[in-house]
Amino acid sequence: MRGRWLSYPVALILILAFSFALPRLMPGDPLQAIYGGEMLTEMSPEAYAELERRYGLDRPLAEQILVYLERLAQGDLGRSYYFGCPVPEVIGGALPWTLLLAGSAFVLSSLLAIWLGIESGWRRNGTTGHGLLWLIGLVNGFPDFFLGILFLLLFGVLLNWFPLAGAMTPYAGYTGWALALDVARHLALPLAVLTLTNLTAVFLLTRGSMVTVLGERFVLTARAKGLRDRVVRYRHAGRAALSPVTARLGVRFGQLFTGAVFVEVVFSYPGIGGLLHNALTMRDYPLLQGLFLLITVSVLAANALADCILVRVDPRAGHAH
Amino acid sequence: MRRICTTGLVLLALFLLLAAAGCRSGDSPAKTAEKPVPSTPAVYTIADSTGDWGFPSPFAHYQRGPGYIRMSLLFDTLVWKDEKGFIPALAESWSCDESGKVWTFKLRDGVRWHDGRPFTAEDAAFSLNYAKEHAYKFTDLAPVEKAEAPDKKTLVVTLDAPYAPFLDNIAGTLPLIPKHIWSAVKDPETFQEPAALVGTGPFKYGDYNKAQGTYHYLANEDYYGGRVTVKELRFVKMDEGTAPAALRRKEINAASVPPESIEALAQEGFTVIKSPYYWNAKLMINHKKEPFSSREFRQALAYIIDRQEIVDVAQRGQARAGNPGFIPPDSKWYAPDAEQYAPSPEKAAALLESLGYRKGADGFYAREGRPLTVELIAASALPGASLARDAEVIKQQLEKAGIRVDLRLLESKTVDDRVLKWQFDLAVSGHGGLGGDPVQLNRSVTGKGFNSARFEADPELLKALKAQVRATDEAQRKALVQKAQILYAQDVPALTLYYPDWYWAHDGSVPLFYTEGGVALGVPVPLNKMAFVK
Repeated sequence: MRGRWLSYPVALILILAFSFALPRLMPGDPLQAIYGGEMLTEMSPEAYAELERRYGLDRPLAEQILVYLERLAQGDLGRSYYFGCPVPEVIGGALPWTLLLAGSAFVLSSLLAIWLGIESGWRRNGTTGHGLLWLIGLVNGFPDFFLGILFLLLFGVLLNWFPLAGAMTPYAGYTGWALALDVARHLALPLAVLTLTNLTAVFLLTRGSMVTVLGERFVLTARAKGLRDRVVRYRHAGRAALSPVTARLGVRFGQLFTGAVFVEVVFSYPGIGGLLHNALTMRDYPLLQGLFLLITVSVLAANALADCILVRVDPRAGHAH
Repeated sequence: MRRICTTGLVLLALFLLLAAAGCRSGDSPAKTAEKPVPSTPAVYTIADSTGDWGFPSPFAHYQRGPGYIRMSLLFDTLVWKDEKGFIPALAESWSCDESGKVWTFKLRDGVRWHDGRPFTAEDAAFSLNYAKEHAYKFTDLAPVEKAEAPDKKTLVVTLDAPYAPFLDNIAGTLPLIPKHIWSAVKDPETFQEPAALVGTGPFKYGDYNKAQGTYHYLANEDYYGGRVTVKELRFVKMDEGTAPAALRRKEINAASVPPESIEALAQEGFTVIKSPYYWNAKLMINHKKEPFSSREFRQALAYIIDRQEIVDVAQRGQARAGNPGFIPPDSKWYAPDAEQYAPSPEKAAALLESLGYRKGADGFYAREGRPLTVELIAASALPGASLARDAEVIKQQLEKAGIRVDLRLLESKTVDDRVLKWQFDLAVSGHGGLGGDPVQLNRSVTGKGFNSARFEADPELLKALKAQVRATDEAQRKALVQKAQILYAQDVPALTLYYPDWYWAHDGSVPLFYTEGGVALGVPVPLNKMAFVK
């Protein structure tokens, strides 16, 4: 068990190294990406050199990584090349919206998928079980952006039930409950789309796991004890079926930040996905490093959390090492 | 890669679906012509698909046209432009001496900064010197030697040589900033406080929200240039495909809209305006490498590539075929006499054969037993463009003519990087900036960037380009610009494929217009602050 906990700092060091190296391995350089495309202005060689100096890009790589680590140790993530302000400020502007949208979608879709998966696995031979499988298979066939456009067209443009873009009505002067309602109205459509499209994987895993577990002896024992269906389904079979699902949820946590990118585009919703896309196209090294760090640390944290939960859900897991 | 590709797909799907919705609700043909002009609203809202263009100070906005526009509402320049040409702004009148190097500006009296302090010639001289010292990036200040204020109302700018684009690109672009605020600022890019937004412009700063991509401006009641017609101006973030629906709901007053939606919008009474040609898709040719280093070979390519077919097939007709002389046909600098390379398989074949290429039994050219194969690279998706489809059409055209093509779709910045480092044969790429001063032609031919052909093999062309920037007489300059285009079209160092059609739609309550030559140094959006001033 102790070796397992040690692996997290090792992973973190590797991640730091990769998050520094990977952006720089991409072809192209940030100054060209940010300033080179605008033909109205042409940068003089002096201005280019000045920018290189300012961003430290004229230094050898070894020196750059040392400076990066030194600053990171002091909690300084650097300044975004494109946005021109500190990386935490840029990420901090988008993060709450991602947590709101992708976070709620993650929770909602996980709970829904687990519940439906258990029910569908339980009734694996009945019409309900088959019907659910078919329905979710159908939803899975829609790419998220397509479903997003469909929802936007139907509930936004045609029925006029929901706003068309953004996370809130800008400069409406709402406060308190009116603001919360406004944010919720803007959230509804993207959240519905993201929840539906995130459902499939966990649903299928839960269902499959449930079907396997249902064939095991302890389920037979539980039934033989004369326990009620619901208790067998959730407390006995369901709980056992959850261990692979929990591990999977930990891994899926990383997609929380990036998985919403298309939905963000369709609904013009602010968030980390769009930020990452922009940072990649602009070769914005400091912002990329900051985002990688945020994403990987959250994945590590989620995995650690999943490990803890796993031991609780399935005590066998604790003895496996 | 797949992700980027899919982003393009998202946009495309959005356009199509929402355009379809637009057509459906647009079948009330009666109410087209005699619609009343709507009264000017107190709050005017403009949609933008990117949203965030940076903190709107002269030094902190992102280095793109829309960033400049958001700054230009707060800050004024010495001169400005409307749909016809130059108009006075902070300078009442201006003149240039005979040497073409000394410009004198008579400044307006009684102008105040947003904080109430008076604007003086000292502020103007300070602005130029400060911008030069701190490498203001939106325009090139290299030609400026010095700026002085001999008295409170006069500014004298001395150049190191005559510079034809001076009024457009410097006097009409550089925002003037208050000395009493900026003289203490060492790092202008990180100076992002409300004080950094004190200008003399028709609007005062209200709010800027980076995450939401929104801006809020308040009318400047004391504007020297006239009455500001709206009380508040807002920019909100919204996908271009969604904008038509938001216009119909009256949630926004103006937006850039997809070409598919304009017919329905016009029928419903919206004012649709078409942008002058500003952007071009361009075939970059590696003229430093065999066989592209031969002018005849490049000319053969130009005869094979049918630009109209690219417009019809890849652009669904929503563009104008490119001028091999680079400058778009709606510009006053356009040279009608430049070679147009009407598609001609015969001429192309003759040129290729003169270079020793022979067609084999398989229908493909080869020379000395080596087959002629070229690599074509293109960006898999670029917002608003569809270069990958253009590249597919070009591949078909070249293969039909007997040149084998190895097509590779790459991420857009990778294409730029390979072009910059000459690691390519042919590349489909594109850039804007065509609407402004014809100094753009020089940047596109001899500039150092990846959008430039970087072509220096024709001394006559170089001479014409150099001379046109120095020519202060417009007729003389026009002749030189036209000559340069004719030479450029003969040399084919790169080939302009088409200029796409861009549209804006608005409710007519504010008379938005396209500025002559683009806002300031050529920003191609119909958001000139003077549209809001009466």
